[in-house]
Amino acid sequence: MEGSAKQASTRLIISLGLYSAAIIAFQLGLMQLISIVQWHHFAYMIISIAMLGFGASGTLLALARERLINASKWLVPVLMSTSGLFMMVTFHLTRMEFFRFDVYLLFVESSQFPILAANYIIYFIPFFTGALAIGIIFIKYSSQIGTYYFANLVGSGIGGLLVLLLLSRLMPQQVPAVVGIFAVMAALVMLTPVRRILQLVTAGLSLVIALVLISRPGDIPISEYKDLARTMNLPEAEIVHSQPDIHGFIEVASSPALRFAPALSLSYTGDVPVKKNIYVNGDYYGVIPDYIPGQTEHILDQTTQKLPWVVGQKERVLMLNAGEGAPLAHAFSHRAGHIDAVIPNRGVVSIMQNEFAEASGRLFLHDSLEIHQVEPRNFLASGAKGSYDLVILPQQDAFGGTAGINALQENYTMTIESFRLMWNHLAQDGFIAVSTWSDYPSRTSLKLLATLVATLEDNGISNPEDHIAAIRSWGTISFVMKKSPLTSAEAGKIREFCREKFFDPLLLPEIRTEERQQFNMLDDEEFFVYVDRIMEGDHSFLQDYGFMIDPATDDKPYFAQFLRIGNLGKMSDLFGQDQVPFLELGYLIVVVTLVQSTILAVLFILLPLFRIRKSHRGKGGTLFYFGALGVGYMFVEIILIQRFVLYFGEPVFALSAVISTMLIASGIGSLTSNRLPATPATISGMGMLVALLLLGYTFFLTPILQWSIAAPLVAKITLALLLIGVPAFFKGMMFPFGIRYLSGYDKSQVPWAYGIDGSVSVISTSLATLIAVEAGFMVVMAVAVCCYTLAFATFAMHRRVFR
Amino acid sequence: MYHPMKKYLFLTILCAVLLAPLNAFADGMQRERTRMVRDQLQARGISHRATLEAMRTVPRHLYVPGAQRRFAYDDRPLAIGYGQTISQPFIVGYMTELVNPRDNHKVLEIGTGSGYQAAVLGEIVDQVYTIEIIRELGTQARQRLESQYDNVHVKIADGYYGWEEHAPFDAIVVTAAAEHIPPPLIDQLKEGGKMIIPVGSPFQTQQLMLVEKKEDGELTTRGLMPVRFVPFERGE
Repeated sequence: MEGSAKQASTRLIISLGLYSAAIIAFQLGLMQLISIVQWHHFAYMIISIAMLGFGASGTLLALARERLINASKWLVPVLMSTSGLFMMVTFHLTRMEFFRFDVYLLFVESSQFPILAANYIIYFIPFFTGALAIGIIFIKYSSQIGTYYFANLVGSGIGGLLVLLLLSRLMPQQVPAVVGIFAVMAALVMLTPVRRILQLVTAGLSLVIALVLISRPGDIPISEYKDLARTMNLPEAEIVHSQPDIHGFIEVASSPALRFAPALSLSYTGDVPVKKNIYVNGDYYGVIPDYIPGQTEHILDQTTQKLPWVVGQKERVLMLNAGEGAPLAHAFSHRAGHIDAVIPNRGVVSIMQNEFAEASGRLFLHDSLEIHQVEPRNFLASGAKGSYDLVILPQQDAFGGTAGINALQENYTMTIESFRLMWNHLAQDGFIAVSTWSDYPSRTSLKLLATLVATLEDNGISNPEDHIAAIRSWGTISFVMKKSPLTSAEAGKIREFCREKFFDPLLLPEIRTEERQQFNMLDDEEFFVYVDRIMEGDHSFLQDYGFMIDPATDDKPYFAQFLRIGNLGKMSDLFGQDQVPFLELGYLIVVVTLVQSTILAVLFILLPLFRIRKSHRGKGGTLFYFGALGVGYMFVEIILIQRFVLYFGEPVFALSAVISTMLIASGIGSLTSNRLPATPATISGMGMLVALLLLGYTFFLTPILQWSIAAPLVAKITLALLLIGVPAFFKGMMFPFGIRYLSGYDKSQVPWAYGIDGSVSVISTSLATLIAVEAGFMVVMAVAVCCYTLAFATFAMHRRVFR
Repeated sequence: MYHPMKKYLFLTILCAVLLAPLNAFADGMQRERTRMVRDQLQARGISHRATLEAMRTVPRHLYVPGAQRRFAYDDRPLAIGYGQTISQPFIVGYMTELVNPRDNHKVLEIGTGSGYQAAVLGEIVDQVYTIEIIRELGTQARQRLESQYDNVHVKIADGYYGWEEHAPFDAIVVTAAAEHIPPPLIDQLKEGGKMIIPVGSPFQTQQLMLVEKKEDGELTTRGLMPVRFVPFERGE
């Protein structure tokens, strides 16, 4: 950090960029790692608290600004090395018995709370130390903030891409050690003569630890409640293959006790085949099918999933999210002529075509199979050709339920818009088939039915009873929806199949009440009333039902989210307080994340910041402006990720591309801002420009993307760069403008602004998710518009605000 | 002068002093069990006399891990390791009542877990055969059960195949449900027999499924709501 404060040091810029890349790569790598150990939402909960380190560093900077800046020559590299060191060891610390935590036990064992708190503290350290280093640079060089913010954003953008590369090449537990090296390198780049030994010792120690951890990464201690952990409890269970992949860590397990026969008919007396299972991030993904070319029987014939094949042969078949090979083998056993299988997970396709090609009877290399490695919606919108006799969706839910773990997982395949596209791809007598595990209280099956009925309504069909058939076993319900009316011959075949397999028809043309419970009775017969009301098109029923069962939409693509937050009290009365978390664990974890991050941010960051400033001059303006920027930026990022995941059909690439493009474009905006004066007029003008741009996006972004989804890839990438980059460029100017204005107005408020931005960014991530679930993405975008309008207003009225 | 009786008197007092806390603890646990049966089972409609008596008798706290012992009689499931739980007392009682166990019955249990369900059945029926697939759990349960009950037999094996040597069974209790009901189990169920299966995630039993094998071999199932879960109504 030599040289004049007015002249940006090249070494410092490189160092800051390198460190920013490391911390973003660490954040995303850690997210993946904790998702393997626990679940995605828990990873999100841990990291959101850890990220409050950015806010907390602002507090410390406000408290001890002068001392920290005076020590910056040696302190910044030491902080970067320390952060790197903790990046390397935090995950390994949490593997120790004392720190072992399980999110499943959080709601049943109070002893988990101190362990959770210890986890928070461990993960907080690398973010806090790193954010302090960045904060010191920003504050010391606040007059050139545009340049340093540029380095920070561009570095972060590159870090987002770097982690993709690392996750596709390394074991997930090696990634933190590698990104930690980048942080240490950042420290070494800016090595200064002051306290050189201390700087070298921390850097050297970190590098030695990194090498040890990379060469001996150890195991990932996954939760005992995850599917893979349960499998590994079985006799002779072993992992026969593991493979890092950007879609998640793939493992294949075998045991003589692993069998595949979902809700097998009770009339079946044969053997149940033993299969190897595939797991992605420790969650069950599917089986390795033992396909035998020419086979005409399959174990799925003994389940309700045979329904679409009962009514006749299908020549052209489309399978969406067909990663599990069993339905593919099932379709070929029924002499399907040609199958288009849409499988987004490239890693799974790769192992089925290579390592397990022979074990699966070369199923994934079948001459009549065409595999499309994109998201189903993308295929339906741009790639699907011709008309299909049958479209098969993957089985929904899981045996015994998922406890709502996937509640907030966006699923664009199961939205009403997706069903409309499927319908358009059906041949005149084509079918859509989907099965689900039965749940209680009934949710998934009712939502599925509501979606099918709504699809028919959209196509002007008012007699769904002639188009939908459903059958029920002891554990599953299978639906088929036919484009033309079902014939009496088809209904007859379904009835006969049900009798033979001890299944019951649930929906058939002219079904009789007594037919519905011949073999599988239900104590709660209200289920049949609900089914009938949905078939009658009773929309008020959908609104009144205790769970959210109205069809998911592209604006609220949460098919597995059923909780009505206003009904929590009633759920608690009905099922007991201790049972409620396991109805909708995923949703509640996000609520807990929002509440705890807000409380912690207010208690430990914002309140202290308010208290330490004796003068109240301009505080409101700083809070509004930087708070609005923090919320607005994150909200726009989340919406763009959602929209471009759908647009490109590649979630992992889309996510990284959106984040990296936004950050880099904002970085360039930040650099450009150096050339403009940070006056209230410029700042408010920029706020208004961004707000207007986003207002346009609220109404026109989705139509533009829908219109161009089938365009050539180059054109799509160009359009995406423009759509993401333009607002990001202008948004990137607003933070450095604000910091520059503040440093001229009252320099002591700069750390405060940094703390507010850091805290609010964290809170807004979970807030955006909850708003999207409850009100939809349009509303999230509207809130972002309001935020930038507030930023505009703050400076438009600067004389009043910054008194 | 030393009197030999003094020695016995001293020993008696010593024993009484030492054992008093143990007796008090045992009494306390007995009271907990009585309360559990009254508040959690009878209050929710369980009336099968032998089931209630068995659950008053079996010391549930001995079937849970040490750290969980103080919660043994709480109205909830508890973690026992390996991703498994000991079911909530009510669910154990309800499942037992549903198979209508009698003193001359032979019952098969799939998924011994802690051994508590087998112990409750062992109090009621003639013979209980229980199979656990996870070696560590099976070994612990065998130690607990075989020292207490000579009519409860533990096997560490894959429950898929049942226990053919002792088939047919009057009832089968599947506490560790899989996504399919193994055909050998159906085969080993006596005609007129009942099989009960809980369906749900580890800490939540959403539904119980009762499989009945009729005299003619036809099989029917019934999805049952645990009594505490009153019929689910609309949110209005």
